[in-house]
Amino acid sequence: MKGIRRSLAAGLTLVMAAGLVLTGCAGRTEEKPTTTTTPAASDPAKKPFEGVEIRFLASQHPWTDTVKKDIAEFEKQTGMKVNMEVLAEGNLTQKLTVELTAGTGTVDVFMQRPLQEAKQFEKNGWYADLNTFAKDAKKTPAEWDMNDFHKGPIQAETVNGHLVGIPLVTEQQIIYYRKDLFQEKGVKVPTTMAELEEAAKKLNDPSKDFYGIVMRGQGNPAVTQFSSFLYSMGGDFVKDGKFTMDSPEALKAFKIYGDLLGKYGPPGVLNMHWQQASALMAQGKAAMWVDANSLYLNVTAPDKSTVGDKIGFAQFPAGDKGSAPYSITSWGLSIAKSSKKQDAAWEFVKWASSKEMVLKTQAAGNPSARASAWNNPEGTKSWPKEWVEVAKKSGEIGKPSDRPLVINVGKARDLIGEIITAAIGQKDIAAIAKDRNVKLNELLAEENK
Amino acid sequence: MNPRKKVHPALNVLYVVGLVLFFVAFMFPFAWMIISSFKTQSEILTMPPKWIFTPTFKNYVEVFEGQDFLMYMLNSFVIAVGATLAALVLGLPAAYAIARRRLPSLGFTILVARIVPGITFLIPWFMIFSRLKMVDTMPALILAHMLVTMPFVVWVMIPFFEGIPNDLIDAARVDGCTEQYAFLRVVLPISGPGIITGSIMAFVFSWNNFMFSMILSGVHTKTLPVAIFNFLSYSEVNWGGLMAASVIITLPVLVLALMTQKYIVRGLTAGAVKG
Repeated sequence: MKGIRRSLAAGLTLVMAAGLVLTGCAGRTEEKPTTTTTPAASDPAKKPFEGVEIRFLASQHPWTDTVKKDIAEFEKQTGMKVNMEVLAEGNLTQKLTVELTAGTGTVDVFMQRPLQEAKQFEKNGWYADLNTFAKDAKKTPAEWDMNDFHKGPIQAETVNGHLVGIPLVTEQQIIYYRKDLFQEKGVKVPTTMAELEEAAKKLNDPSKDFYGIVMRGQGNPAVTQFSSFLYSMGGDFVKDGKFTMDSPEALKAFKIYGDLLGKYGPPGVLNMHWQQASALMAQGKAAMWVDANSLYLNVTAPDKSTVGDKIGFAQFPAGDKGSAPYSITSWGLSIAKSSKKQDAAWEFVKWASSKEMVLKTQAAGNPSARASAWNNPEGTKSWPKEWVEVAKKSGEIGKPSDRPLVINVGKARDLIGEIITAAIGQKDIAAIAKDRNVKLNELLAEENK
Repeated sequence: MNPRKKVHPALNVLYVVGLVLFFVAFMFPFAWMIISSFKTQSEILTMPPKWIFTPTFKNYVEVFEGQDFLMYMLNSFVIAVGATLAALVLGLPAAYAIARRRLPSLGFTILVARIVPGITFLIPWFMIFSRLKMVDTMPALILAHMLVTMPFVVWVMIPFFEGIPNDLIDAARVDGCTEQYAFLRVVLPISGPGIITGSIMAFVFSWNNFMFSMILSGVHTKTLPVAIFNFLSYSEVNWGGLMAASVIITLPVLVLALMTQKYIVRGLTAGAVKG
């Protein structure tokens, strides 16, 4: 009995002691009072942001890994302290949503996916308008050069005339193909939709567990990879404020995507996201894979792929209206409106998106949105030559979005995904497309209320 | 075997087949996880899966070298132990009072805290903790995890305390014990098995909790379930590392459960009157 009492008492003491010790530790993360309103730009001897701490919520991404290494240098130059937290992309969105809703100024800088989040975040008033910084000559020197950024990515980061983020990473849809097999069987690398289907048909050999083509077949994730088919056939998700998923162009695009996977794709394709699709390609079980070029290491790196040295890259094939792959901004850097240290935050954003840093991050394998990085041989040295050519070309002609730009992107993708899976299942899609299009327009009407 | 209870042999076979089926269904993901943690990325993704391969420890090395996994483990441990102890300190007297005084509505109120989806608490909590400058501190996480652990302890202990005969407590009272003293010196000592069962489950729930930890933790307090997501990146999934980390997360819980299994079983079978 004594023992129990003693251990209970010990437990209590422990809890209290732990509380004391740890609250003590918490002092480390405490915010300093804001002193950032007067950056001492006029006094170069003094570090302008001495003692200021900013909090940066970043996504788990190769870009983050590269920047992380240089943050110490930035801190030395400015005297600032950057508290960086790295999270998986889905978790980042959740955490941002909670912290920005609370609006207590805990986040200063954050990474964001413009196509997925920009519209909603802007509607909630969570973004600081970066135009006020980027266009202010006092805060941004001319050599930072806004015009060096490609137009598409800047457009993607602009909502209601506000610049909500600086584009960091871009990607385009391309064809990955097996150079050795195309040569062996004398198949031409496809440049049109017809040739794509032809090649898939010729190389398809299910009896040997080998398939002509593999792409995403899961409805929701497939929507982004379907978008280039849609654009190339002359369609679009939304035209004049209405969804057009039942237009003749869209129906043609659905049919092509569905036929490719339904006739020449692997079994179980309806459950495939890019991870499963790339795995098949990496194990030498597919002749072609059509997906984002940013994923190339999954099929070329020796520790991941058995056919790494046999992979070729080709531009997205032309449909009725030519080749129109997406060229999107997958990540951007933003400042929270609730941040009390916006000047310091901008100093960091400006540094992370400067010509020098972008060249560095691109050289480490993150396709950027800056023309200067693409034109510098140093900036493209880490990629295969063929890949660079395809990426450059696709970047020039590409469309800035790969999904419908609505607030409830997930719901819209689900609905469009249902048409895609029906097409892969070789069903008659006209009726389904019509029905889902009505639902999509209802969704849109709801949002515009 | 009791001859009157003789079962039809076919039923017996069915029973065994059912058991095996369940065993395989439940063990397969677990086995896959352990096997994959010793494979390279391309071996993991090979279809059909390879059952014979040269095991590699690269994934485990990567988990501990590439990240501060030991720190995450320590964080998880401190938070889970803290939340469990705090839940016992507050929960045991609460459960006793509810059981002795028949206060079902109070018990129900505590249960409601568990039924309401945890996410509803998060935004208010975040606002409060960030005003108090307590985000990314252990006390904040321990407090948050108590929402998971305390109702559990209370609800495991209520029936346990109800099962203790009133005569026992009355006898102590007659001998001059106060109610509190009787609780401390008579009731608690014979409640060991119940307390152990409750604490283990509370510990496991806290150890596995993801949502509260993700929102309220930060650089200094990241816990294992949050850290495990580091293996999923935008353009690649490190399956080997992910599986190795999963094994590491599961192991302590497994060891704990195996070690304390006999207490749990004893808790279910032992009579309450023996003190």
